[in-house]
Amino acid sequence: MRLFVIYTLDGITNGMVYAAIALALVMIWRATRIINYAQGAMAMFTTYIALTVIRHGAPYWMGFVVALAAGMVIGAVTERVLVRPVESRPPLNAVILSLGVLILLEAIAPMLFGGQTQSFPVPVSNIDIVVGTTSLPVSPFALFTVGAVLVAMLLLFLVFQRTTLGLRMRAAAFNPEIARLLGIRVGRMLTLGWGLAALLGALAGMLAAPSVYLYPSNMDEVLVFGFTGAIIGGLESPVGAVAGAVGVGLALSYVSGYVGADLAPLGGFVILIVVLMLRPQGLFSFGRQRQV
Amino acid sequence: MLEITDLTVAYGGVIALDSVTLSVPEGSITAVLGANGAGKTTLVRTISGLVKPRQGSVMLGDHQLVGRSPEAIARLGVGHVPEGHGIVSELTVDENLRLGGLWRRDRADQRVAIDEAYELFPPLRVRRSVSASSLSGGERQMLSIGRAMVARPTALLLDEPSLGLAGALLAQIMQRLSALVVERRLSVLLIEQNARSALSVADQAVVLSLGRVEMSDTAERLAGDDALRHAYLGF
Repeated sequence: MRLFVIYTLDGITNGMVYAAIALALVMIWRATRIINYAQGAMAMFTTYIALTVIRHGAPYWMGFVVALAAGMVIGAVTERVLVRPVESRPPLNAVILSLGVLILLEAIAPMLFGGQTQSFPVPVSNIDIVVGTTSLPVSPFALFTVGAVLVAMLLLFLVFQRTTLGLRMRAAAFNPEIARLLGIRVGRMLTLGWGLAALLGALAGMLAAPSVYLYPSNMDEVLVFGFTGAIIGGLESPVGAVAGAVGVGLALSYVSGYVGADLAPLGGFVILIVVLMLRPQGLFSFGRQRQV
Repeated sequence: MLEITDLTVAYGGVIALDSVTLSVPEGSITAVLGANGAGKTTLVRTISGLVKPRQGSVMLGDHQLVGRSPEAIARLGVGHVPEGHGIVSELTVDENLRLGGLWRRDRADQRVAIDEAYELFPPLRVRRSVSASSLSGGERQMLSIGRAMVARPTALLLDEPSLGLAGALLAQIMQRLSALVVERRLSVLLIEQNARSALSVADQAVVLSLGRVEMSDTAERLAGDDALRHAYLGF
């Protein structure tokens, strides 16, 4: 029973990191109808930037803030410079472009930061909390991980649902032509949307790095798991993406705990393939088609 | 005053509008009539910047609209109610209305304008917090016109507002609109396939055929000309 609790809490913690990536993918999909396969590589890159800042003597939190800001900038620049020209082209162009960005970032990273695997600091202990003589199956860093992703989600929700900026961004995503006819600068909204998504990805990168370590392809698996979560959620629904990603985290944690840690990544791919085969529209979509 | 001069639009090599010239004075409605494919929708899409003309000019007051982006043209005072109403069905009725004037600086007047839209079309007020996708066809048309009015436009482009609406409901909407046109000194360009209903509210009318202006006169005289009605308007 105690093992089950440990696996469950582990699964939720990892699932929240996948959820941040899943949510970033959903935001970009909703705004530009593009799957950003470079989402993980962008997060890797910003985590390296954070590590560089921290290595130069800055506190962890400085690195944290710099990583999020760098994510915002990288996301915005990617949309404005690379994605904008292919937005009106066939979707395959954008797919190839985002794969290109992935390969590019993973190739540049070793040149700038070195290719070897590096450990990454935590802001709070990642050793299980001990109360009296009993050790609780949860660490302060796990609590921080879950809390940080929840806060980020709450802030995003408030921005999108409660501010006029969010209303503009939603209108631009749902119906760009109508939005333009109403005087909304759709291009700027898309740039901002990519920036916010990459900021969320950067957060995932910071939270994943202490356990998966930092190397140029360290986020590849996290991207696959986040993508799986987003697909389960139907790609359109932020809530579905978060639920799907936490589900993936739980499933992987049980596979790794009860079957074998080596099989966990394989488990992720199996889930993705099964979902794509049986219910490609996702578990959380009910066949609702987008109205033109 | 909306003045269109010598406007030519081509898709690839196909001419969609051929040297179209017309003007819409303030406080009046100009109907653009014609069959499917006559270039009516192209005309309004060109005015609002969604289509780039090959040549010609579109002046709103002192501003040349040709060459500007749709969002810039909207900010200069052109309200476009697109064919099939173009509401954002993922948003609520109230959110749709608010979208109309988000770019405006005057936040206080923005609230007044939204309130006026609810007064103009009371059925919307009851349904303000429901998803716009649950509205009936008539309510959608009200929402789309109300939303355009929230931006306090000086020119209003209405593309086939009669589409899918019962005659009585359309008459009711157009009646409310006519009162506003005079009160706000609006220049309205009304695109219609349904010539009879358009001529009943319009001041002037233009008949488009294959991208050319075939006829241009007061609405009254066009409606009274039997030969013309048979030839171009089909009633």
